[in-house]
Amino acid sequence: MKKVLSIVLIILSFLIIYFIQSNLFSWFTIANVKPNLFVIFILCIGLFAGKKLGLIFGVIFGFFLDVVIGRQIGISGIMLGIIGLFGEYLDKNFSKESRITIMLMIATSTGAYEIGCYIFNIIVLGVNVEILAFIKILLIEIIYNLLITIVIYPLIQRLGHALEEIFKTKNILTRYF
Amino acid sequence: MYKNKKKGIAGIIITIIIIILLVVFTNSNINQVSYIQDICNIFVMPIQNGFTYLKNKISGNNSFFADMDTLKAENEELKKKNSELEQSLRELEIIKAENETLKEYVNLKDKYADYNTIPADVINRDISNYSSTIIINVGSDDGIKEEMTVIADSGLVGHVISVTNNTAKVQTIVDTASAVTSTISTTDDTIVVQGTLEDKSTLRATFIPTDAVVLQGDSVETSGIGGIYPKGIHIGTITEVVNTSNITDRYAIVQTAVDFNKLNTVLVITNSVEQ
Repeated sequence: MKKVLSIVLIILSFLIIYFIQSNLFSWFTIANVKPNLFVIFILCIGLFAGKKLGLIFGVIFGFFLDVVIGRQIGISGIMLGIIGLFGEYLDKNFSKESRITIMLMIATSTGAYEIGCYIFNIIVLGVNVEILAFIKILLIEIIYNLLITIVIYPLIQRLGHALEEIFKTKNILTRYF
Repeated sequence: MYKNKKKGIAGIIITIIIIILLVVFTNSNINQVSYIQDICNIFVMPIQNGFTYLKNKISGNNSFFADMDTLKAENEELKKKNSELEQSLRELEIIKAENETLKEYVNLKDKYADYNTIPADVINRDISNYSSTIIINVGSDDGIKEEMTVIADSGLVGHVISVTNNTAKVQTIVDTASAVTSTISTTDDTIVVQGTLEDKSTLRATFIPTDAVVLQGDSVETSGIGGIYPKGIHIGTITEVVNTSNITDRYAIVQTAVDFNKLNTVLVITNSVEQ
């Protein structure tokens, strides 16, 4: 029952994040660059709720984004799915209790996600390769995501642990060793 | 959770302030100087006014000692008038805004009278930094089909890439995956304009014929080749010609006629596909 409720809550929070990203962050930009809240969201699901949920939600939400606003169906779905999987790998190797490690994880995944999407776009859509402009936008986006992570870190911790207790009851103690 | 909770909260507040400052400063232009001037004025002007008042008083300005009762009555009357004027101003502003929206629609219709068009509002913009698609509030129920051309008051916006019953997804010409075959209106040379990552308001004109004379300020419009865009729709003006060592690689920067950051109303051309 708790699991069903938390899945419903995850879907609701995705919709809220979608509206924040498409309304607030369409004008609240740093040098015309928007942050990417979806990477933070899916990474946290992967980190705290495990790779199954990370992968499933990553693919579903990515697919949703592609259908609603994307140019090509599949790119965000695949990349967000990978980020969800990546979450569990990070959880096994690093501590989630430090703000710095969470920030590093988010910086890495934002970079990996955008580079992956860009390569896909170059191959599938024949987008012009503009390495310098891409790196500039990517760096600002990573910094923006990091700043947002600092602000929402307490929220990530609280909700994350709640999720972890529901979905990872067996290995709840592992983080203390 | 925290070693020091207060420190954590202070950190969050400082980060929020940094984000807001970054957003404000990176999005404002030269006008920010006047903004700062306004803030400085708040501190300086009251004192400055005080000094002026003192100066006037010393130099024999005796209007200060005028009859207080008359002044009070006059003040009341003026306040009343002021509120009445404010009220009518507000009403006028509402009418003005309404008038502007209607004018925009009429202008758009007149300008492209040869085409059958459907007006639409932009209801969603792209969430990614690397692409530029918009969602408009008309769909297949209104007769919209894929590959229809979308324009705005000042020029070309893009084309429809997918349609639902009530909405349509439009790929704008500034999207990095967009390439529009166009002509330079003064010389009729065919070029291709593509969206860039660097700037969401400029396009890169490539495949410029080696013998073509490209000048700053030349107007660029659609050529009609390719089957999506009808001929003769204004795209923008050339602002810079970049010459490279190899003349076949030279390119030009085209400033789009449409301001994509402020794009709210568009028209979808419904008869371009048959043309």
